[in-house]
Amino acid sequence: MISKTLASAVLTEATAFGADFAEIYLEDTLTSSISMENGKIEERGTGNGYGAGIRVLKGLQSAYGYTSDLSKKSLLKLAQDVGKAFSGPRVLTPPALQKVKVKEIINLSTQPMETISVTEKIKLLNMVNDTMSSYDKRIIRTNVYFNDMVKQVTIFNTLGRFVEDTRRRGRMYMIAVAAENGKIENFGEGPGASDGFDFFTSKIKLKEMATETAKSAIGLLGAKECPSGKMPVVIGNGFGGVIFHEACGHPFEASSISKKLSVFWDKLGKQVANPIVNAVDDGTIPYAWGSTNVDDEGFPAQKVQLIKNGVLNSFMIDQFNGRRMKAEHNGHSRRQNYKFEPTSRMTNTYIENGPHTVDQIISATKYGLYAKKMGGGSVNPATGEFNFTVSEGYMIRDGKIAEAVKGAALVGKGDETLSKIDMVANDLARAQGMCGAASGSIPTDVGQPTIRVTEITVGGRGGGQ
Amino acid sequence: MAKFDTYFALAKEKGIEVFELYYSRAKSLSFKLYNAQIEGYKLSEDISLYARGIYKGKIGYASTEKISKETASFLVNEIITNAGTVTKEELAIIFKGSDKYKKKNIYNPAIAELSIDAKKKNLFDIERKLKAADKRIAQVDACSYQERESEAVLINSYGLKLKRKSNYYYYYASVLAIQGEERKNEGDVHFSNDLTNLNIDTFVNDITKKVLSKFNGTQCASKDYKVVLDKEVVSDLLAAYLDSASAEEVQKKTSLMIGKLNQLVASKKVTISEMPLKKNMFFTYFDDEGVATYNKPIVKKGVLQTYFHNLNTAHTDGVQTTGNGYRSGGKIEIGFRNIVLKAGRKSLEDIFAQIGDGVYITEVMGIHASLNPTSGNFSLQANGFMIENGKRGVPLTLITVAGNLMDLFMNVKEVANDNKLLPNGYDIPSLWIKKLTISGK
Repeated sequence: MISKTLASAVLTEATAFGADFAEIYLEDTLTSSISMENGKIEERGTGNGYGAGIRVLKGLQSAYGYTSDLSKKSLLKLAQDVGKAFSGPRVLTPPALQKVKVKEIINLSTQPMETISVTEKIKLLNMVNDTMSSYDKRIIRTNVYFNDMVKQVTIFNTLGRFVEDTRRRGRMYMIAVAAENGKIENFGEGPGASDGFDFFTSKIKLKEMATETAKSAIGLLGAKECPSGKMPVVIGNGFGGVIFHEACGHPFEASSISKKLSVFWDKLGKQVANPIVNAVDDGTIPYAWGSTNVDDEGFPAQKVQLIKNGVLNSFMIDQFNGRRMKAEHNGHSRRQNYKFEPTSRMTNTYIENGPHTVDQIISATKYGLYAKKMGGGSVNPATGEFNFTVSEGYMIRDGKIAEAVKGAALVGKGDETLSKIDMVANDLARAQGMCGAASGSIPTDVGQPTIRVTEITVGGRGGGQ
Repeated sequence: MAKFDTYFALAKEKGIEVFELYYSRAKSLSFKLYNAQIEGYKLSEDISLYARGIYKGKIGYASTEKISKETASFLVNEIITNAGTVTKEELAIIFKGSDKYKKKNIYNPAIAELSIDAKKKNLFDIERKLKAADKRIAQVDACSYQERESEAVLINSYGLKLKRKSNYYYYYASVLAIQGEERKNEGDVHFSNDLTNLNIDTFVNDITKKVLSKFNGTQCASKDYKVVLDKEVVSDLLAAYLDSASAEEVQKKTSLMIGKLNQLVASKKVTISEMPLKKNMFFTYFDDEGVATYNKPIVKKGVLQTYFHNLNTAHTDGVQTTGNGYRSGGKIEIGFRNIVLKAGRKSLEDIFAQIGDGVYITEVMGIHASLNPTSGNFSLQANGFMIENGKRGVPLTLITVAGNLMDLFMNVKEVANDNKLLPNGYDIPSLWIKKLTISGK
């Protein structure tokens, strides 16, 4: 997007007042979205995100600026303004920029999104729409959205690093709304990948997913209000991993560890979970939604073992917070776009398979909640307090799955809940989400096999039992 | 803005019948403090160009942040392709203009004129005072300042041209307090476009008082309680409640207020207005379709007065737009500005005294995930206090509060007189709700 010569001049300008590191992040992103409601196309939108962010560091201080004007004049001015956040003599002369070869772990599809016509995408949306709406006459509304993007990123820094990377992602959201006797319920799924169109047409079973979505919406119509109180909770695989994402993933990020804000800041090497619990964050899974070839500081994505046999093994670290922690960064610096300064974030985070089966877990539970499918949630990394919602749940009575329940929220403290996982099944699956934090909204995968937590506070409207 | 003439010329040449551009530009400056040192400094310049056009009777959208020689043809070509994709039968409208606009100048030059040193001094003062307030305050984990100014222009091929310019600043601070094994945090934001209303001591005291009051938190028994919702909690719930008053949701049959026009949708104690012309930083005299905005009651003494309309929903219902067309991405949806829930007469203390025993909820979390806008059901993580013998009692932590949004507003027993303009543009008091389900022990 800009020449190496201009990049060198900008880095030189940015480090004129004592910065010990400078970086330019440029992006040019084309986005396309289609929204369908009840089988009619409501909108197709296209957009072009474009701009540059310049970051300088000096010890534990940072300065950041961004603009959409990528002219030489504008970038040099921004470099000067950002560099002037510090005062002092030059301590660094940027070395010559060397292009780094990026190892492709995404972008390997033979059907990249930008080569697919709108008509073909609409055909797929129609299939999903028709599958949901014809499932049951109580389905009163269907929405299908398809978003894809091609993001071209260029990063230059004063370590002499020059990286060019292309990121392609696509995601579909499907929502079925069911109604009966004045009650309205909805259910949604959102499969996505850093992959081509073939992900949707052949790698996943989209039609089955649409049927399941409609079925879940209908199921909610007959569900009772979930009882409340403390009880054992069995959390289903796939999106169930949102518990680990909220309760442990965020507090394992260097941004809260480095300032000792996280409850886990001094727990490295300590037993934080049952020895059957192993967890990783892996940004290198081919085609995965949360994967990246390089992170947003231009370093290769990595697989990090967060928990090994119940012992806290590693955190997710970016350059800046790594300075405070005196620890190496490990490919986990991410940002939504050029408007955000990067920081430590998750990629694809999941609990690994354990020794049990789903049947063993259910039959070992006399009374409790089976949270088969989860919705979203949030966490306060400083206190570890989290909440998340159950989108499809059942009571467990005498070791058997009993009546469907709805409206349950699970709340707890991350460190306590982690230590209360006592059974881990062998049905690991991942699911896609958007994760929001200081550096914006980014694509991440959550995941886990079915697990059991001995006690969580369940909030529902069905009263105490 | 002469530079957009070529865009209009190209649009016309390519057969776009009506063409509209919305150009916005914003600048901001922010810095943050950590341990008495400026830790971060940020400068930004945002440019966005949204284009809409009617082509063969259908409307198409495109947007970009890239202004170059190719921008006009990118936008025009995308509009033509995108308009051709739409199959929904919807009237394609771009607005010719309202008869009268009530423009006011809300831009405050004093914000940018105040020296950076003065702003930094405020930040250093806030951090120092927070640290000194109590020895249990272990860290000031965030202490930041931001100012932002933005201007926008809406122009279309009917000759309509509307401009707006605004600015604001905010100070944000949050602390982590530790007592034994208990970790509690609390933050607050002072958000305004008036420099004279910043009182650092009040700001610091509010945060300190709130965080320290959370220690020795417990969980109450799981059952139904009389509940007081603090204004910030009310504002979170009200946003979801008012979404149901969107004509778009009503027409899609997923609103909780279908068929409720001129009927009770809340207790008679509740009056809610939209005041877009109220002179503060949320003021706007036109919506994103270029329609003049006006102040209006939405719920008056519990009765729903109107739905929120944009041009399209108004056309469908055969009524006038209410000037609530706001952009979400490229497309115009429904939005609102400056919501006011009318204050009652009683103080919070009087209400506690009247309740005797109940629960006072001061914070809810996870509303995006745990409130179902279709059914109105919610079950939210919450913090608060017991109300015991008519007074605020022990703190409650990690409880959940569950109910239904429509029932909640129908069950308002009393409205407090403690209104505050919150950072989302809502001017809100606390509410006494007859009954909500609390889950704890």
